[in-house]
Amino acid sequence: MRRALSGVVDFVVGDDVWTAVLVVVTVAATALVVQTGFYVWWLLPVVVPLAVLSSVKRAARA
Amino acid sequence: MTGDVLLVLGSALASGVEMVEAATIVLALGMSRGWRAPLLGSGAALGVLAVATVAVGPALEQIPIDALRLVVGTLVLLFGLQWLRKAILREAGVLSKHDEEAAFAHEVARAREAGRARGSLDRYAWTLSFKTVLLEGLEVVFIVLTLGVNQGSIPLAAAGAVIAAVVVGAAAVLVRRPLSRVPENALKFGVGVMLTAFGTFWAVEGAGAEWPGGDAMLLALVAITAWWSLLFVRVVRVRTA
Repeated sequence: MRRALSGVVDFVVGDDVWTAVLVVVTVAATALVVQTGFYVWWLLPVVVPLAVLSSVKRAARA
Repeated sequence: MTGDVLLVLGSALASGVEMVEAATIVLALGMSRGWRAPLLGSGAALGVLAVATVAVGPALEQIPIDALRLVVGTLVLLFGLQWLRKAILREAGVLSKHDEEAAFAHEVARAREAGRARGSLDRYAWTLSFKTVLLEGLEVVFIVLTLGVNQGSIPLAAAGAVIAAVVVGAAAVLVRRPLSRVPENALKFGVGVMLTAFGTFWAVEGAGAEWPGGDAMLLALVAITAWWSLLFVRVVRVRTA
């Protein structure tokens, strides 16, 4: 069971957990801020490239 | 209309890349150990994948579209970011590029080392082809279902996968060699861009926000994602030079 769960997580998340966490938190923040009436469609398209840039820089350093 | 074209294109490209990888291993097994077991193993895996698609697809369509877009959009985005991250690192020279000729040679060597088949069915070739087609196929099923359900047309997404299957299958049968001329790394880059753009679009819509310009924004997201991805290739290449 644990191996199956780990396989599913690896399939979706891959080897960069921090990027995945940041994306999930940003989607959740978008859903919360939308409730207050603010235009927040731009948040995820801004965070995603920053997360990828940070991830590829870390990978290149390693 | 734009969304439908991108849906078929994204599904076909993503499926095609996975199918090329599976075809390389099935070809290596067939050419080194005979065709019966690899074809039976591949057929059994395709049967399992067909059952999984038929079972899961209609169930997904019963979920309210906003909740589906939020969850599945986020999953597609995470999945796409894996492809895109690796594609950027490959293009920048940090990771080595996938080489179908090398993969084919490796599989042929392993198949020869595995020894001769005993009995009427070559278990090694059957098991390896089954496992390969099933694992690569699961990614295709995931992509087809998530893209299809979110864009409101599983048949269109499936059509993309079928086009890819026909093209890759025909090419493999005709050339009987690994499909090394397929620009696999460039295709993976393109698939990463499209999945990231699709995932971003649906996750934001699923969260309840509205895109300015509606569906037209999807095309803009594809272009913008391609632009920053290529920019990051240059940034990483300069840093590692």
